[in-house]
Amino acid sequence: MNINMKKIFQIRFILLFFTLFLQFSCSNYMELLPNSGLVREAFWKTKSDVDAVVMGAYKTFASNNGNLFTYGEARGDMVTYSIYGQTSDQYKVMQSNINSDNGLCDWSSFYKVINYCNEVIKNAPGVQKVDNTFTDFQLQSYLAEAYFLRSLSYFYLVRTFKDVPLVLTPSETDASDFYIPKTDGDQILTQMLKDLNDNRNYAADTYSMTIAEDKGRATKTSYDALIADICLWMFDYNGCVEACDRIMANPKYVLLSGTVWFELFYPGNSLEGIFEFQFSDLNNQKNSTYGMTNRDANQYLPSQRAIDLFAKKSSVEVTRGEDASIAKLSEDNYLIWKYVGSQPDSKTVRSSMEQHSCNWIVYRLADVYLMKAEALSQLNRFSEAADLLNKIRTRANMTPLSIANSPDAYEDAILDERALELAFEGKRWFDLLRMGRRNNFSRKAKLLDVLVANVASTQKRILSARLTNPLGWYLPIAKSEIEHNKNLVQNPYYIF
Amino acid sequence: MKKIKKAIILIFAICSFIGAYSQTKMTIRGKVIDQKDKSAVIGATIVESDKTNRVVNGTVTDVNGNFVYEMKNQANTMKVSVIGYQAKVFKPVAGKSIVIELVSTDIELSQFTITSKAKSDNQLTNIEERDNASSRVKVDLMEMKNEGITSAADALQGKVAGLDIISASGDPGSGSQIVIRGLSSMGNNKPLIVIDGIPQTTVPSGFDLSSSDSQDISRMINIALQDIKSIEVLKDAASTAAYGSQGADGVLLIETNRGKMGKVQFDYQYKSSINFQPAAIPMLNGDEYTTLQLEELHNSKGIFDVPNEIAYNRDYKDFYNYSANTNWLSLLTKVGMTNDHYFKVSGGGEKTRYLTSFSYVDEGGTTINTDAKTFSTRVNLDYFLSKKILFTVEFNYNNMKRDQNYVMGLSNGWQTRNVREMAYMKAPNMSVMEYDEKGNLTGEYFNPVTNYQGSGQDYFNPVAVAKLGKNSSDETNLENNFKLKYTFADWLSFRESVSFSFNGTKSNTFLPYDAIGVDWLSYLANRASETNSQSSTFRTESMFAYNVPFKKTDHNMTGTFGWITSQYRSQYTVLESTNSPSSDIQDPAIGGQIIDPPNASSWAKSLRSGLTEKRELSAAFSWNYKYKDRYMLQTIVRADANSAFGANNRWGVFEGVSLGWRFSSEPFLSNCSNWLSESKLRASWGTSGRPPGDAYARFATFESSGSYITNAAIVPVKIQLDNLKWESITSTNFGADLNFFKDHLFVSAEVYRKYTTDIMFPSNNWQGYSIPTSSGYDKLQYYNGGEMKNIGWEFSTAWSIVKTKDWLYKIDFNASQNINTFMKLPDNFVTEKNVSINNGEYPQKIVPGQAMGSFFGFRYKGVYASDADAVAKDASGNIMYDSKHNPIPMTYKGTYLFKGGDAIYEDINHDGKIDLNDAVYIGDSNPTLTGSFGNSIRYKNWDFSFSFYYRLGYDIINMTALNAEGMTGKDNQSKAVLSRWRVQGQEEPGLLPRACMDNPANNLGSDRYVEKGDFIRLNTVKLGYQLGADLCRKLSLQSASFTISARKLLTFTKYTGQDPEVGQDASDPFSIGKDDAKTPVSKVVTISLAVGF
Repeated sequence: MNINMKKIFQIRFILLFFTLFLQFSCSNYMELLPNSGLVREAFWKTKSDVDAVVMGAYKTFASNNGNLFTYGEARGDMVTYSIYGQTSDQYKVMQSNINSDNGLCDWSSFYKVINYCNEVIKNAPGVQKVDNTFTDFQLQSYLAEAYFLRSLSYFYLVRTFKDVPLVLTPSETDASDFYIPKTDGDQILTQMLKDLNDNRNYAADTYSMTIAEDKGRATKTSYDALIADICLWMFDYNGCVEACDRIMANPKYVLLSGTVWFELFYPGNSLEGIFEFQFSDLNNQKNSTYGMTNRDANQYLPSQRAIDLFAKKSSVEVTRGEDASIAKLSEDNYLIWKYVGSQPDSKTVRSSMEQHSCNWIVYRLADVYLMKAEALSQLNRFSEAADLLNKIRTRANMTPLSIANSPDAYEDAILDERALELAFEGKRWFDLLRMGRRNNFSRKAKLLDVLVANVASTQKRILSARLTNPLGWYLPIAKSEIEHNKNLVQNPYYIF
Repeated sequence: MKKIKKAIILIFAICSFIGAYSQTKMTIRGKVIDQKDKSAVIGATIVESDKTNRVVNGTVTDVNGNFVYEMKNQANTMKVSVIGYQAKVFKPVAGKSIVIELVSTDIELSQFTITSKAKSDNQLTNIEERDNASSRVKVDLMEMKNEGITSAADALQGKVAGLDIISASGDPGSGSQIVIRGLSSMGNNKPLIVIDGIPQTTVPSGFDLSSSDSQDISRMINIALQDIKSIEVLKDAASTAAYGSQGADGVLLIETNRGKMGKVQFDYQYKSSINFQPAAIPMLNGDEYTTLQLEELHNSKGIFDVPNEIAYNRDYKDFYNYSANTNWLSLLTKVGMTNDHYFKVSGGGEKTRYLTSFSYVDEGGTTINTDAKTFSTRVNLDYFLSKKILFTVEFNYNNMKRDQNYVMGLSNGWQTRNVREMAYMKAPNMSVMEYDEKGNLTGEYFNPVTNYQGSGQDYFNPVAVAKLGKNSSDETNLENNFKLKYTFADWLSFRESVSFSFNGTKSNTFLPYDAIGVDWLSYLANRASETNSQSSTFRTESMFAYNVPFKKTDHNMTGTFGWITSQYRSQYTVLESTNSPSSDIQDPAIGGQIIDPPNASSWAKSLRSGLTEKRELSAAFSWNYKYKDRYMLQTIVRADANSAFGANNRWGVFEGVSLGWRFSSEPFLSNCSNWLSESKLRASWGTSGRPPGDAYARFATFESSGSYITNAAIVPVKIQLDNLKWESITSTNFGADLNFFKDHLFVSAEVYRKYTTDIMFPSNNWQGYSIPTSSGYDKLQYYNGGEMKNIGWEFSTAWSIVKTKDWLYKIDFNASQNINTFMKLPDNFVTEKNVSINNGEYPQKIVPGQAMGSFFGFRYKGVYASDADAVAKDASGNIMYDSKHNPIPMTYKGTYLFKGGDAIYEDINHDGKIDLNDAVYIGDSNPTLTGSFGNSIRYKNWDFSFSFYYRLGYDIINMTALNAEGMTGKDNQSKAVLSRWRVQGQEEPGLLPRACMDNPANNLGSDRYVEKGDFIRLNTVKLGYQLGADLCRKLSLQSASFTISARKLLTFTKYTGQDPEVGQDASDPFSIGKDDAKTPVSKVVTISLAVGF
């Protein structure tokens, strides 16, 4: 009997021990981390984490370059549609036949970049506490890159959608507020300008490693270019001139000579380049522009106007003309050549190893010259403006222009010059939009002419009437976005 | 505390003292004979039991019926028993040989099992079955042995009120969908399956087969049917609370057969079945198809260039290839044969009982090149180490090899198409085999890179893919359970069970170059894949069961307390390669290249792998009290911790209370005993909860997004879920179990209410809960919000009308109804998922206050007889005119003008425009009544039974018809389109709209395809013959029986689709009740032969 009791108690002790063991080990036992991917708990610990997310923001922005092309070109007058590869969404945008279920109204790529930047801005300072090798200087430099990319994203968003939600904190947990209403576009840009001016001095002068880093990441000069562009958009001409002056004072950036003008695009990263999203087939970083403009599956072709501007039969442009900006395949059959060719000869295409390696140039010096010229002319400083404009022209072996001393005449001349110099670089539509908005829409009619040029003849009349409403120049907010966020209000132009 | 301890010791001491005092041995001998013919009974079991009825020892009679036995204690009772005779207790007489006569019996085996009311070891509550006050139903499978059913899900269908089992499709091994008491959540409505007390783990969330859910359920319980003793269904939360969060969708308790004391028993059963498909929807032949195509082109384009493929142009090089009359479907269909062998050895002595079974099922599908071969074996071993210790080992092994047809991925990168779907669409004027220009066969399948209908990838040759493509899998399941039961004392026992299970699956696919029309360098040519996945579970359960020894028998108090740990781990790797140098090299690791298909999503990349781990920790306590055997109170509390939650919401506490009143035992009803037998009323209340399916959903993860320049790029891809919490379900249940007329009539009825709060939206991986993309993300993995209600009732009855020695006539009937309602939806939830209303699309929305599974669409009103009829009319039916007094034409969305022969849709708001505003409620997929009824008749050795299954009062969207009657594209259409509108002014009842290529409005989602699904189906019919006991004995057999049965032989329905049995897959709440089934459930006729010896 005694033995029996002992046994019972022994078993009990074992069980008791087992229970206690389970309870003590409980908290660890239940904490299972996923094996694939890093979890937030293990992230934001070293400066390389900060670096990787900053790179993620660049990468994501760069991957969106197909849309950057479309937003900047589709409604303008330099491209036309191709029956081979164009999607119906692209076609409808070009026809100004836009509904909120058009896939191009999807702004998620921009907000992804914004969220990554917000992550960096919020979390990078904390990393310094755990990583002793993370210096103040490095931290400020990464933050400057994040502010730059965030501002650039909002700049694209405001130019494309006008008023958009202003999100300045990262969506870290499901406790975040996801249902943010729209903020006025000008207000957003004012905020961005403030961010840029506050952080400009922390941005790197140069990334010493490679030329690709120097051109592909935000430097003080990139900052200045973006500040100039936003100022110009907001018609703050003095601000624009000031920023442009800072760039032009920097001896690192020079205009390429006309003979090597095509090197801007192949091989790229030229001395003229200020900020270019980098691509490299070798590293599996593929641009979309090749697929959008190459011979077999293209989505966009040079418009008749572009052909008139560039083709040998109608134009005296040599440096930037046929064989450089566009290529002639056969009679009346032209191709956009900047992203496809490796020689300004209409023939030599990029080798298969670097088909998708062409950079997406956001800013280059010629653009800065023309921005400054535009600002100066609006300030009635015509001779300075003419000087800058003609520098670009002479570089391209074109005769200098003499322009009547009126802002409108200069506006037209600069607009035409930008079309030639910056063709197919995602600038055209925004340039036209800037003109249309200027001085309280005083030159709206010119923009409307461009807008309805693409449109089928039956629609021209109704659209030129409808599009006098400037809200129609912007894209609608995507339908699914409106549905998922009851605080959003659709652009009134698209509510019927 | 000390006093109690002393008391325990004292009780023990007294017991052992008494035991020691009366321990005197005695030898007895005797002979067991049949009372009628006085023949010796071989193998009868003689057991000695002590006062507490515990078996002490025993022996069996030899071939002459003799036995010798040394009794441990004279005071004990002796009992002799053997199958086929009534057991008999006899008085041992020392020294003298006794003759025991046994009376033979015709009692069914099933009745044996019903009357043996033991406390089930599987339960975590320690309640006697007859005292249960919660809602649970037990089905005994012994009754259904020979009905030709192949899986347990089949056996359950229609047997339990409130349990909805729907066959997924007719392909072998495709499984069923099991829903208990309606859908209470968004997706993942899978009841927990518990086999011999061990819960079976769920499918890994990272598992990459999107449709695997319903299959895995059936595979999980796909232990050999003959091994299953009973299945019990737990329905209300008060009963499922014992299983905590795992039991939120109900629980199926499966008990397997165990060895019994007695001499070794062999059983063999052979079943042979023929599976055949009901007639398919008749499709157009080649000539009718070309005519239709020409008409479609003419109606849409007027004048057009006739494509060579449909031009009957003898000079066309492929003329012979495009002038066939191919019935693609019949070329894919075959009659399937299933052979099922089952062998079992069981028996046992005083210390050990064993059961070993082997089963081999070779199931042939009804589509060519599909079959499944399953081998399974099970060992159940009970070993009584001592009076106090029972040690049990259970081992189960199962291997299934399956061959299926290759499923083609379409060029859009996310859709797939199987051979049957293809056969319905494929142009019937194309030939199967290729002809050359002169009309001679080339010996190759006809597989052009592009054909009239589209690319060779999207419109492949289904016969070639079925015959040459390979899609095989080899799955092994292994499960080991070790259980120890230690009885401290009469009132306290401890059970420990440790179980391991392992699943390993390897599947291979291969698509040879010549099976599909692509060029040699396409990523589809010679594409091979191999998937390896494995999962394992380790689970421990430690449980004390107590039964408080009261002096007065008026009180009875029982209960359990214990804790459970379980961990689960699964991993998979997938390897796919392309362009292997020869069709004979089918291993993706040899010779092929790794090429990702264009538009491949991350889960479809050519190399991928994953690993998931889950852990759970639970503590449970139950307390049950019974007074005077009439008033029952049962309570349970269980706390679960789940690794899928963060520390803030990790623990979920679930509780249940049930009350029972056995009113039939009340003294004031004692004079009713002639008509009222044991009956009780029950009420229960309980809560349960559901964790997310994805164990890692709560983590914010950062993943590589490639590189920028030469720097690695990492981005956050998921939002951390701090608010993730248990979905919670509260259920209330009232029920009554009534027995009348000496148990001849049994009636059970229940009403219930299930209320789900914090609904977890949604549970499948790729969907997520959409949020504005301005957040930088497009979804949350999960979101808790909204409320849902299920109310319903269940009724079942069984009536033994005649019950004599020779005759038995029994009928049973059950019915149930469940009403599901969305009570509340989360803020910012988009109730309209899809508002596009193009051809073939139904606007999809959820309306609070309405059931999940309501249909919305247009009202179809026939066909415009002529162009002039297609004008807008106002509410009173008058034609509307514009300012110039021209009739306003009827338009589709203001862009397309309806013409003669187009479909008429009701213009609800009379604006002359058919658009989203005219889409109205047009039906509901929730049945008002489901259930079954059956009859069984036995006369002497013959028995005959049948059962019907019915679902009434619900609608189905007949997607098959929608795809086959639209006449707007190049897919083949059904014969129904032969009566279509052709000329102006044509007016006939039932006329279909005109054929018109790319017509934007002729095939809109309308009530044209919404049909009543109501059906009554003859589920099983069975005729059996059991060899008489005398004959058996002469043949030295224990038993022998012969059965012929048929399953799903007849279906009475007005539904015109293939099969009105349409699943309710809640994983997408927007698309419930759509029937696009391509393989109807096949009819099965089975012959079965069983012998025991």
